[in-house]
Amino acid sequence: MRNTIVVKDLGKRFYRYHADQSVTLKEAVLSGWRQMKSPEHFWALRDINFSVAPGQMLGVIGSNGSGKSTLLRLLGGVGRSDQGNVRVKGRIGALLDLGAGFHPDLTGRENVIVSGVVAGLTRREVVRCFDSIVEFAELQAFIDNPMRTYSTGMQMRLAFAVAVHTKPDVLLIDEFLSVGDLSFQAKCLARIAQFKAQGCAIVFVSHNAEQIQQLCDQVLWLRRGQVMAYGEPEVVAGQYIAEMHSETQRRTPVEQPPLLTPSGTELQVNKNRFGSLELEIIDVCLLNSNGLTITELESGDSLRIEIKYQSRQPISAPIFGVTISQEDGLPCYDTNTKLANLSLPLIQGQGNIALELKRLDLRGGKYFVDVGVYEQDWAYAYDYHWHVYPLIVSSTTTSKGILHSPHRWQMADVKVARL
Amino acid sequence: MISKRKKFEIPHRHQLIQQFDLLRVLVARSLKMQYKRSVFGIMWSLLNPLVMLLVFTFLFKLVLNLNIPRYSSFAFSGLLVWNWFQMSLLQSASAITGSRELIRQPGFPAAILPVVTVTTNLVHFLLALPVLALLLLTGEVKLSLMLLELPFLIALQFLLTLSLAYLIATTNVTFRDMQHLMGVFLTVMFYLTPVFYDASTVPAQYLPLYRLNPMTHLVEAYRSVLIQGTSPDWLSLMMIGMIAVSLLVFSYKNFMRVNYRFVEEL
Repeated sequence: MRNTIVVKDLGKRFYRYHADQSVTLKEAVLSGWRQMKSPEHFWALRDINFSVAPGQMLGVIGSNGSGKSTLLRLLGGVGRSDQGNVRVKGRIGALLDLGAGFHPDLTGRENVIVSGVVAGLTRREVVRCFDSIVEFAELQAFIDNPMRTYSTGMQMRLAFAVAVHTKPDVLLIDEFLSVGDLSFQAKCLARIAQFKAQGCAIVFVSHNAEQIQQLCDQVLWLRRGQVMAYGEPEVVAGQYIAEMHSETQRRTPVEQPPLLTPSGTELQVNKNRFGSLELEIIDVCLLNSNGLTITELESGDSLRIEIKYQSRQPISAPIFGVTISQEDGLPCYDTNTKLANLSLPLIQGQGNIALELKRLDLRGGKYFVDVGVYEQDWAYAYDYHWHVYPLIVSSTTTSKGILHSPHRWQMADVKVARL
Repeated sequence: MISKRKKFEIPHRHQLIQQFDLLRVLVARSLKMQYKRSVFGIMWSLLNPLVMLLVFTFLFKLVLNLNIPRYSSFAFSGLLVWNWFQMSLLQSASAITGSRELIRQPGFPAAILPVVTVTTNLVHFLLALPVLALLLLTGEVKLSLMLLELPFLIALQFLLTLSLAYLIATTNVTFRDMQHLMGVFLTVMFYLTPVFYDASTVPAQYLPLYRLNPMTHLVEAYRSVLIQGTSPDWLSLMMIGMIAVSLLVFSYKNFMRVNYRFVEEL
């Protein structure tokens, strides 16, 4: 089936206006026309790609300022993209702003008529389904009161009721269900499910990853205008939850520029590097038994991992950890200084710490040595380099298992059949 | 076959009806909003010109006698025409900036907002017409067949006002000075339009400049149709019409060009 919503390479740029930006004619004349447009801009959305088929529901998660609402507005045709394009087929029903165009001084009845016509119905169509709207919103007793006397929840109920009565082909819902009470939420969700079954394409924005996971067929995770992940709800929402729970994430400085390790790998905060960076890992060297730097070894060889660190402030008893993991992130080997009952002193300045593995008995393949240093109670990471240091393990044999122990088959007690 | 053809035609018709309904609903909305919680409500659209009429009558019949026959009909017709023009332009400054909640609705045609402003004030104008008719009849004005030309004048004024309204609404989004500027500009224009005096008293050497104001021609045209019962100066009205149409095309195109930015600027 053809997709109802197709978004390709979408980008939206906003200008960052200064407080002293000229807003009035006088200021503009005084400061010269040329300075009117601030050259400073930032991308609220960049390189967004996804599509939604009829009857599908896409969930959008992300923290505040990640571009979720901007995305929804662009889908609704409010504003124009600076890059790529958005294609939406059919009538759009949208719950973008809480007010939904309601005016506080008009009565609920008057607002429903306006809102319905604004949403694309004729006046007669709105009048025809008016009772049904009011009934759905459960506001029969209040419909002739001015809007300003309505609670946020009541406004939301009315807005939702109008939106579902416009028979949309596409439904855009922004953080909406969070204001209604639970029973009404359930009612809305039931109606959304009904729309889905009828072939309506739905885009649903929420903070609530669990709700998204339950409802959606696909999930898009945005961070600072970029797609962090897009795909199966269990996977993406799971990742999102994991990250949101991580204290490390909160403490990771945002402004850190990408760094190159002495061994030549680029370290980018929030890509392959996480942590508060109070204690930094400057470099990690993988050495063989002769003390030479390697990136490849034979299965069964020894491996020495040297970690060079630096801290500007005194750090008490940090924990160093090393994980050898597969490309897909599956850990194969994991150890740390705490596990070995090693307690580091209060450290400051530069230093070296090394881990020696007598044998690395892994099957042949590509691995990563992930190195981290953590707060003494595992509260968060000071620095964690994820998938930065590759390690190729070569082996003469291939097998399905990860472990490749030194081995020997014995066949002393095998009886040969006599024919 | 028939049902298939119907399917093709209905969306188009539906859309037209929907757009008309949108205009109607929004005009009703803005009328209601203006007079919500006020005791006199829509009566205010009459009270304002009536009070002005009293002041003018006192000033220019008793204090400074201008010697204009049937002065109340004369001044009231000028006032109504001018008020429609002035209020439309004043309110068009905030047509976009004051409708943030509507513009943020998906698919909302922002271009309808200046039309709503001008139409809302047209409603005020039409509602006051019976009072004008009363004044005309009591002032012993003989209503002539020339009255049939009145709709053309109204249509012309609508176009002229709308073309300016688009321009003002667009400009005010980036320069909020526009609404204050319009206040000053319209006050000046009020005195430079023959609302409470007769243009024939303007000294001849200023006339070419004075007659550049399109509202002068419009106000006089209304009066010749309503009071004098003569045909207006269609040549100058045609020229105004041509200017209004070309200005409308320009200002509408300009509006549509920057339309997408409104959401971000608000």
